[in-house]
Amino acid sequence: MRWRDYWKDKALFLIFEGCCMAVTCIFLRLTGYEKGNVILLLLFWTLLLLLWMCREYMERRKYFKKTAEILEKMDQRYLLGELMPPSWRLEDRIYQNMIRRSNKSVIEKIRKLEAEQQEYKEYIESWVHEIKAPITGISLLCENGRKEETGAPERFRQISMENAKLENYVDMVLYYARSEQVYKDYLIQSCHLQEMVYDVLERNRFLLIRNGIRAEVNCDEDVFTDKKWLGFIVNQIVLNSVKYKRENSPCISFLAQKTTDHTCLIIEDNGMGIQEKDLPRIFEKGFTGENGRNQKKSTGIGLYLCKKLCDQLGLEIEAQSKAGSYTKIILQFPQNNYISEVR
Amino acid sequence: MHIFVAEDEKTIRRELTILLENAMYQVTAPENFENIPDWITEASPDLILLDVNLPGMSGFDICTSLRQRENTCPVIFLTSRTDSMDELNGMLRGGDDYITKPYQAPILLARIAAVLKRTRGNTEKTSYSYENVRLDLLKCTISCDEKEVELTKNEMKILHLLFMHAGNYVARQDLIESLWDNQIFIDDNTLSVHVTRIREKLRELGRDNFIQTKRGMGYRI
Repeated sequence: MRWRDYWKDKALFLIFEGCCMAVTCIFLRLTGYEKGNVILLLLFWTLLLLLWMCREYMERRKYFKKTAEILEKMDQRYLLGELMPPSWRLEDRIYQNMIRRSNKSVIEKIRKLEAEQQEYKEYIESWVHEIKAPITGISLLCENGRKEETGAPERFRQISMENAKLENYVDMVLYYARSEQVYKDYLIQSCHLQEMVYDVLERNRFLLIRNGIRAEVNCDEDVFTDKKWLGFIVNQIVLNSVKYKRENSPCISFLAQKTTDHTCLIIEDNGMGIQEKDLPRIFEKGFTGENGRNQKKSTGIGLYLCKKLCDQLGLEIEAQSKAGSYTKIILQFPQNNYISEVR
Repeated sequence: MHIFVAEDEKTIRRELTILLENAMYQVTAPENFENIPDWITEASPDLILLDVNLPGMSGFDICTSLRQRENTCPVIFLTSRTDSMDELNGMLRGGDDYITKPYQAPILLARIAAVLKRTRGNTEKTSYSYENVRLDLLKCTISCDEKEVELTKNEMKILHLLFMHAGNYVARQDLIESLWDNQIFIDDNTLSVHVTRIREKLRELGRDNFIQTKRGMGYRI
């Protein structure tokens, strides 16, 4: 509350007081009061008025300053109604009551939304677990069907491939739902990169073979991280490589490099690469870029999720690329020197 | 080898049984889940595949109960839950491995083999011979009469597969898939290159036509 604003606000009252003074003076003068006495009366009146108003200004300023401070310090500002400083003024009390009631309805609404969201999230998680049973069933059926003498192995391979896609989409849903609260579901342990990569390649075996992709794995290093989450991240990167592969002899290579303070996992393909102007934005949600638009099957969620999960796990993810030549995704694992020294 | 499968999902149980039987294991898969621990003790299998979400008693409890009876039979948990806490729980209850659904059949078989190998020792065949040509998996060589040639890892795996199906054609696609199962991630062209190299080595041994090609089919020894 500023001095000037306060007086502006009181303008109407001041004009009214001025009028009162004028009318009183005229009346007193007409009833024969002396001029000097009238002036004295006026001066006294004005002084009292000013004093009163200054006092009021100070008091109001203090009250609002305190309220503003509380508001500033608050985490959830919609709880202001509960914390406003007490006041003897009727007006303040009426406003406080109204704010309190308004806040209460906001809080109720938020609680309801939170509960709904939580329920939805829990449902998604249980749904994901339920759907994994039939996916496993289909996968086993295909595996057995493929080996039958009379069967049509090619058909079963195709079903298997589609099933693997399904599995990945289901996984994406699960990780999307969980990406907000990693701390609830991770197990940091020593993870052998080579094994993790083998797992991912195994998962996409049919897809990769069908696309004639060769893979080179050279990453005999251990890192401390959550195996499952990392596997999911690497899986997305591999799927992207397959999606944007080149026509003749496509290849993906996995290379691990260890330096003094971190370990890098470099995943490089010789696919169509990423346009330079698109490169800084590939980790944004919903960004599809030139490649995505040309292929029309990009959703812009895969890499966004990768980035988000990497942030949660404390990993650095970086992309380098040259259009028409290669794409290189680098995952950087911080290395705790203390742990490695103790070991 | 005898494997006990405790899985309540009908389709998965049936297919898992077929898969394991195809891989030359003997399988017991009960359809009701009362007194599973007693059942297991009676069957005394070499390995147990245990679903975590079973009706009645959970897989974790079954494992605990087995360990209390001092049954040391290796246990692999199968589950569709992917919580890390579950995995930890499984290990603490005395499980030997933990596989989440949906699992790939080759991964499952590899894990089973690994657990059995760890608990029983290695019983795999280490050398093969066919028509006087001998493949030694430990020395990584192939020999005929007195002559011997060294093989690279990839060449050895290819020959291993051909020797396992000696006399029959192995389709290129199957060959590539099996190689992927053995962590050799090659494409069609690379396979041709490797086979050509193997042929050259066989020529050194004086066995020119040991590997035959049938267009559109695959290779045979």
